[in-house]
Amino acid sequence: MSHAVIKVVDLWKYYDEEGHGGNAALRGTSLEVRRGEVLAIFGKSGSGKSTLLNLIAGLDRPTRGLIEIEGKNLETLGEAGRTELRRTRLGFVFQFFNLIPTLTALENVHLSLELAGISNLQIAGEALAGVSLHGKERRYPHELSGGEQQRVAIARALVKDPALVLADEPTGNLDTMTGNQILKILTSRCRQTGMTLVMVTHTSLACHYADRILTMVDGIITDKLNSEEI
Amino acid sequence: MKIVTKSFLRYLIRRRSLSLLQLMGIACGVAAVIGMVLSARSALSSFSDAVSFLQGKGTHLIERPAGTMDERILTDLMRDRAVRSMSPVLDRKLRLEDGNLIRVLGIDPFLDRQIRPELLHSPFTQRRGESGERNMEFFLDERAVFLEARLADKMGISPGSDMKTSRGLLRVIATFPNPSGEPLILMDIAHAQEIFELPGQVDHVDLILDDEVDFRSRWETGFRIQSSLERQETFRSMVGAFRLNLEAMSLMALFVAVFLIYNTTMFTVVSRRKDAGILRSLGVKRYEVTIAFLAEILILGTAGGAIGSVLGYLLSHFLTTIIGSTISNLYFFLRPTPPIWSFLILLSGIILGCGASILGSLLPLVELARTDPVEALRGRSASRRSGKKALKAAYAGIVVLMISLVILLASGKQIYMAYAATFGVLLGLSLLTGILLVYAAPALKVFLSLVGGIAGKVAAGNIRQNLGRSGVAVAAFMVALSMSIGLASMIGSFRESLAWWMGTQLRGDLYISNASETEVPLDFYEELRSINAIGGVDAYRKVKILYRGRTAYITAINAPVLQRFARFAWIEGGDEHWEAVKSGGVIISESFARNFNVRPGDTIALDGIGGSVQLKVEAAFYDYSTEHGLIMMDRSTYLNLFHDYAINSVAVFINPANPRRQELLDTVREKALARGLPVFTQKQFYNSILEVFDSTFAITRSMRIMAIVIAFFGIAGALMTLFIERQRDFGIYRALGFSTGQVSSMTLMEAIGMGFISFVLSCAVGTILAFILIKVINLRSFNWTIFFHMQWQPYLLTAVTAFLASLGAALYPIWKVRRNYPQMQIREE
Repeated sequence: MSHAVIKVVDLWKYYDEEGHGGNAALRGTSLEVRRGEVLAIFGKSGSGKSTLLNLIAGLDRPTRGLIEIEGKNLETLGEAGRTELRRTRLGFVFQFFNLIPTLTALENVHLSLELAGISNLQIAGEALAGVSLHGKERRYPHELSGGEQQRVAIARALVKDPALVLADEPTGNLDTMTGNQILKILTSRCRQTGMTLVMVTHTSLACHYADRILTMVDGIITDKLNSEEI
Repeated sequence: MKIVTKSFLRYLIRRRSLSLLQLMGIACGVAAVIGMVLSARSALSSFSDAVSFLQGKGTHLIERPAGTMDERILTDLMRDRAVRSMSPVLDRKLRLEDGNLIRVLGIDPFLDRQIRPELLHSPFTQRRGESGERNMEFFLDERAVFLEARLADKMGISPGSDMKTSRGLLRVIATFPNPSGEPLILMDIAHAQEIFELPGQVDHVDLILDDEVDFRSRWETGFRIQSSLERQETFRSMVGAFRLNLEAMSLMALFVAVFLIYNTTMFTVVSRRKDAGILRSLGVKRYEVTIAFLAEILILGTAGGAIGSVLGYLLSHFLTTIIGSTISNLYFFLRPTPPIWSFLILLSGIILGCGASILGSLLPLVELARTDPVEALRGRSASRRSGKKALKAAYAGIVVLMISLVILLASGKQIYMAYAATFGVLLGLSLLTGILLVYAAPALKVFLSLVGGIAGKVAAGNIRQNLGRSGVAVAAFMVALSMSIGLASMIGSFRESLAWWMGTQLRGDLYISNASETEVPLDFYEELRSINAIGGVDAYRKVKILYRGRTAYITAINAPVLQRFARFAWIEGGDEHWEAVKSGGVIISESFARNFNVRPGDTIALDGIGGSVQLKVEAAFYDYSTEHGLIMMDRSTYLNLFHDYAINSVAVFINPANPRRQELLDTVREKALARGLPVFTQKQFYNSILEVFDSTFAITRSMRIMAIVIAFFGIAGALMTLFIERQRDFGIYRALGFSTGQVSSMTLMEAIGMGFISFVLSCAVGTILAFILIKVINLRSFNWTIFFHMQWQPYLLTAVTAFLASLGAALYPIWKVRRNYPQMQIREE
């Protein structure tokens, strides 16, 4: 049995309707990520990082190629299966936090738990405490700073103990100091619990916290680098 | 799942002002439908109650085909073996001091007890406590009457008082309740014959028959026998077109309401798209997003429906009065009872609110369920694709339009199909709004730049950029304004056609009596004819008949007089038709020709006093006096046929070149007034007809106002959504150095821009609607041709309405801008 949580083979994604000759966001990308690994995918804006992440999350469908999450082929899972996977095995952290504005911090975290079939406010509260937001449970997103909002987003992603956390430019909307805090929290929590973390970024900051760094250029993963090279 | 739903429902509180506008939009839509349906039902049920109440236990009615009948036949009727009970009735109208017409029933209390036991029960019981001698007043005092209780209350008349009427003073000796709401006066038939100067005459006899077939075999010739069911059906068909009109108004209210709710829901979808994307990325299923959204819609629908039902109930009181007065003008005096509040009204409102909300949100729901999470999470993708969507909507609009036009042309006499197709045309045209907005954007930019400078320029861009929102708002507003233009143009054209028709047919210098309560004495008519040098005197008699089981009218006129003085609007040919009319032919109105599919050259069979008579139809003419159809014949033909010498009114014609013209007019007037007969000049006569016409369309005008109010909430909601959704943009404007005044002006320009473009589109759509209403709906409902008259007033009025509504809709968002703008920053959340 493979230890790979993510297996991507020859992944292509076109954004024109016919599926050829148009705008290729991914061009035959392949990738394997092991359980518990913290991976950073580094690349310029428009290199196809977010597309790759959306495909791995099952939010979008590839033009061709294979994606397996914990050995399950996303294509054969179907829409219902992919949704179920996101509910239970995947956590997502976005650049712009994407909290539900009408729910409090606690409710935003609880939402994720509820979707995973665990309706327990105490666990949600503990998850918030784990990202140093104790006492701010009842605040709405607009009452929190950017860093605090991202911490709520991290708590929301981690609270259900997913196998895989996907982070799309998690510090892209934060200052360096806050970004460092966020990355520290995110990577340390993943390492503590053995979760796999895939971060895509266009800055070097996230790379410093990764076990492995890959670069992406024009829809293809090219090199394996270390943080000093970046 | 609870928390997903909660996340949606919190928007209702978070965006209170928008929720309130949405709620009011739904409430107004529901109120319009409930108000219209309740009042129509109330008025029409009062109408049929009045018919049933007076019918009592009678199974049949016998009357002459036209005019009154001699009471001597009562003896034969009484002896007839098929007749179990009978009651002769003189059914007339008189005018009260306040100008209202009231129905007077002359009855024989002893005979009538068998037919209508409830009618006289109360007044006689009421007086039982008093001396029996005074009870005899009803029979002995020729001015003694019983007055319907509600009318007595309204007029402040108590038993023992006198009341002034067009037939002199009447003495009210008791009151009686009438559950149907029709104001009535009861008097002894002998006294009624006296005050109406109809000695020995009765209008009809109500009967309870044991054997109808046997009875008909003896009485068929020279009489019209109608069963109770036939009679009710006749009354129902009499108000059929009117009922249809009311139903169409209710449907119109429903159409605007559903459209507005669609409009409202579409805004909500747009503002929830990103949340839906986030939720989907977290693993929420499509149906869970749909349910959460549906819950929000249903809460709005329930609350809006409940508020709407209360508003509708209040509105129905106002509308019932209007409908009552229209029925009184067109058919007979009716004072409909306003509907009584019941929780069924509330339930109906909620069902309607929720039903319309679900119907209006079907498309938005599909769109939300299909939300691509990746696109939604990217943020403002909806606007990027809105051009494509507008194109798709336009294609759908063209398909709807074509299907509707085919249905419209193929609907024939199916008036409901024609109405459905008309709404389809409106829907199809409204679907074209988005693409028209795209094409109109450059012109709008120029226009708003001229009006509002840089703020106007940005506002034009915003309208184009936020097509998903502005397109729907413009479509809803355009539909409401189009209805306003369409209805007003139809009414205006009808009024013009009516005025033209009056100019062709009603060319008399003086009209003596135009009201059905008065009949002109025969000797007075002869007296007028004998005046030396008078141009011509036309004796006009109009009677209701049944032709092929349906209501129609016969009018008798003096053909030689009209040949000389009138200028009839013939559908084919000219005044040569009068020669044939003078020698026994008939002419028919357009409505009769269409209603009964009769053409010039055909023969029609009429039941005269001596049996069935075949008459040749010589020609058809335009006429707006009745939608049921009119057969016009010379007085001599009419007298031969019906032996009815009564005259409803007289028109006096005096040659304009006659040097004694004024003297003759004065003489006629004096003679008429001396007889207590009302006299009208041609102008007064025209005005009285136009007054009735205007009051007939009061209900339509009310609906126009309702449509505008509903649309107002629609456009206000659109602006509010634009404001809320563009907080980030406001931050950018501030960063760029836009002042609060400029951003306020921008908001105002957006409102005016949307209002302006809605108005421009509504001019075209409203004209198309008017054309359909005139050439299809009216023609098929009323069987008469209205000539399209282009009038500028409806367009001007609608322009002012659009401007004011846009201005009003912008006020609150502007206030919000002025309050919040100075603190706004560029933020994503």
